[in-house]
Amino acid sequence: MLEVQALTIRAGRTTLVSDLSFDLADGRLTCLIGPSGCGKSSVVKWLAGVLAPELRAQGSAYIDGNLQTLPQRDIAYQPQQDTLFPWLTIVENACLGLEVRGHQKRAAREKVRSLFHDFGLDGHEDSFPDQLSGGMRQRAAFLRTIVQEARVLLLDEPFSALDAVTRLRMQDWLIDRLSDRPRSVLMVTHDLYEATQMADHVLVMAGNPGRICADIPITIPRADRNEATLANIRSSLKSMLLKDTP
Amino acid sequence: MVYFRNIFPALLLTCVFIGGWEGYVALSNASPLVLPAPRDVLNGLWVERSAIGKHAVATLSVATLGFSLSVTFAFLVSILLHFSGWLRRGMMPLLVASQTVPIVALAPLMVLWFGFGLLPKVLLVILVTFFPMVVSLMAGYASMPRAFRDQLVSMGASTWAVYRRATLPSARAHFFAGLNISATYAIVATIFAEYAGARRGLGIYILSAKNNFRADLVLSAVLVSAVLTLAFLTLIRGIERATGNRFRRNTDA
Repeated sequence: MLEVQALTIRAGRTTLVSDLSFDLADGRLTCLIGPSGCGKSSVVKWLAGVLAPELRAQGSAYIDGNLQTLPQRDIAYQPQQDTLFPWLTIVENACLGLEVRGHQKRAAREKVRSLFHDFGLDGHEDSFPDQLSGGMRQRAAFLRTIVQEARVLLLDEPFSALDAVTRLRMQDWLIDRLSDRPRSVLMVTHDLYEATQMADHVLVMAGNPGRICADIPITIPRADRNEATLANIRSSLKSMLLKDTP
Repeated sequence: MVYFRNIFPALLLTCVFIGGWEGYVALSNASPLVLPAPRDVLNGLWVERSAIGKHAVATLSVATLGFSLSVTFAFLVSILLHFSGWLRRGMMPLLVASQTVPIVALAPLMVLWFGFGLLPKVLLVILVTFFPMVVSLMAGYASMPRAFRDQLVSMGASTWAVYRRATLPSARAHFFAGLNISATYAIVATIFAEYAGARRGLGIYILSAKNNFRADLVLSAVLVSAVLTLAFLTLIRGIERATGNRFRRNTDA
């Protein structure tokens, strides 16, 4: 289990995030939603160890009760853009995390290639990112993140650059992939429909300064989730978000 | 067809220039001591081909050695500057200042300090060609998207791994742009150094031809130096193409 305790993030004298604490249960997908500028991405970047240099953070992260130094091998991060390196093939991009973490190039490639079918990337091993559609690029980025075998995945608005149809397909696809390989996932999104469709838990952040204002478990099985069954949750989430948006 | 389309404008303009020059000399009856016709220049080049060839080889050797050392040195310095903000802030003004020293003033001093051998010429080539490459590399390093760095750091990459896997590849296009600029200076800098004092080389040949009022031979040597520079640039373009297929991708992240 990942626990974040008393996280405060400042930009000069401005407090962006104040005294934020939450935990991520093993194998559960938690969505972090909130208005723009409330500090969602900053929280995720802090956990990934890549907080912008102009920001200062105080707080602690624990995995199974042990204090962690960030960045941490048990945490994998996927930013908003797919950040595939344009000069590397899809296989080389997908191997990047493993190679950086010390795997031999050959072993990394074998491991990554064995997952290409699962990730719908068959036949594109030696393609370059600019030869792939947006959805395929995102799947390649997910492959690079998931293959690292980290216990915690941080996904910062992973579908924000995709068109509506691809986004819906990718949401279902990601849930399927995660059911094969359970991880603790913290996913930032600004889309409450996406959050309620995918998450086991929704953490709602309010702004000025950023703080958790609600922790809502979604107990409805994913197969039964639809407009009708999620209506009440979405309605209450919507009112929470609107209350805090000027 | 594409190749022809690319070189056709340059060929056409060169023909127009040479034709205009030839026509002007014929119509104005200009003295060949002042302005020889293009065919006189070519004739001089043919007659003196053996001597000019030997001097050209000497110039090319110095330029190649100086340029190779300069590229190596520029790389090492760029790495030092990249990793040390303190050094970067301290050295960049000095590097800029080094470019304000006129080469005409520096070349004789180099000969005075280091003699007529290889060293002063190589040093001069390094001094002239080093700066554009360092500046280009630094600009290339700065052009790396921050998201690439963040991605690698989050994976636990060291500073060196970030440099090797993302910063350096991101700087490739800038590096080759700097290399092209520097290559155009390499031959000219060598000729300047030879002009100030040397036993062999196009610079000393030009000086000697000028002293003998052989403007045709001066221009013949200039033509050869232009061809050498173009050869340098073609070689660099060739290396860039041969090694960079994967780098000519759309860089949208």
